[in-house]
Amino acid sequence: MTDISIVVRLKAPDPAAMTALSTLKRINPGICPGMLERYDYWQFIRPLDGKKTVEKIVSHFHDIVNPNKQSWRFTGGSGSIHSGGEELIWTEVLVTDKVDSISENWTDILRRNRYEVEKVMYSVLWRLGYPSGTSLTEARERTLALTVTSYRDQGLLANPVSQNINLLDQV
Amino acid sequence: MKNRPLVAVLQFPGSNCEYETASVVRDSGMDAAIFRWNQWKELSDSAPDAFILPGGFSFQDRVRAGAVAAKEEIMDLVFNEAQSGKPVLGICNGAQILVESGLVPGWENGRIESALAANHIHGRSGYLSRWLFLRVNARALRVSPWLGMIGNSAIPVPIAHAEGRFVFAEKDNHRVSECMALTYCDENGVEISDYPVNPNGSFMNLAGIMNKEGNILAMMPHPERAFWMWQIPPWIPGAWGDRRTSLNHDPALAASSGPGALFFRSLADYFELISREDV
Repeated sequence: MTDISIVVRLKAPDPAAMTALSTLKRINPGICPGMLERYDYWQFIRPLDGKKTVEKIVSHFHDIVNPNKQSWRFTGGSGSIHSGGEELIWTEVLVTDKVDSISENWTDILRRNRYEVEKVMYSVLWRLGYPSGTSLTEARERTLALTVTSYRDQGLLANPVSQNINLLDQV
Repeated sequence: MKNRPLVAVLQFPGSNCEYETASVVRDSGMDAAIFRWNQWKELSDSAPDAFILPGGFSFQDRVRAGAVAAKEEIMDLVFNEAQSGKPVLGICNGAQILVESGLVPGWENGRIESALAANHIHGRSGYLSRWLFLRVNARALRVSPWLGMIGNSAIPVPIAHAEGRFVFAEKDNHRVSECMALTYCDENGVEISDYPVNPNGSFMNLAGIMNKEGNILAMMPHPERAFWMWQIPPWIPGAWGDRRTSLNHDPALAASSGPGALFFRSLADYFELISREDV
């Protein structure tokens, strides 16, 4: 049994991502990305039947994916999870609450409903797309600077006092 | 200072307690004016004597509660005025903004040193709206312009939040007592770290923290919702509940002050003292 992750996005433009980008443009204009995307990121630990179990969960619980307004896909597969911006240099950062009641509650809910999953973990995935001339190293450095809120005018996407920050290689 | 001190109440998109907050400020003998987040110049020109960031959901809690409002230009002004010693109070979402601004605890100017994380305590998580009791830390009682009249006894005040758990970096936990302003307790003033006395798992039962000087206070409970005695539920245990019950069917209930009034009258009293010293 391997862990399975999915990403969930709004079909319409994400208002939180739009507000975040607008704020970053104002406070950190020199290193701001051209595009910013936000996703719910659900990690299912050791689901009994792998993707089949996750598909059942996703189709049953509309609090995880509301098909009327959200779309989803497994991570790690082929194909892009974003629309447009193919020419950009993309970085991904995962923000997870250090003490996370959403994950705990969903683990309980799935257990009570007899879904064979050891644990569920919820995070927010931010994807930042930089102009094509940006090196990946520089893009990753910028992403960390924009994510880690250290001072009022530095960083936004995560408060490291209460959240874990994980710069991903590839979703 | 003007004849009556002016308290600026800031309104961000999504604030929803600004009118009642301004109203109780006026009922405490001060002037109050509401300034929208984009009225930087108007706020600056009016030179307020104090600032209140009211409750609500600024910017719809996008990214993280208080995170976006903390970066707004108008907060530059609040930041500078707070550093110069003017009283600043953040209530609920206002407290989240102050935390995300690095104004509290303020060990290093402007550095983000704490967080108001999602409620999480054994037996409860998620949004919670209920009455509970607070007490003021002894040092805060002396130094904070918002707390001077409250005294040592427990007071009932309501909370309504999903992200009210004060947390700090582990390396800073030893210095948290320096910024303690308000703690959750039972009706007898006894602090208990379990639910329901501690409603959200807040570190050291913290309901409110302040900067070292005490002029900046970030608190999760809503004192403006306990300003009048008629706002207090009669079933509240302790002295305040007894007082409330004794006023049942008494016309005096309409004009009797509740425990939340003590926060705003402390500020009025503070300005009164300053004006006497100026004379």
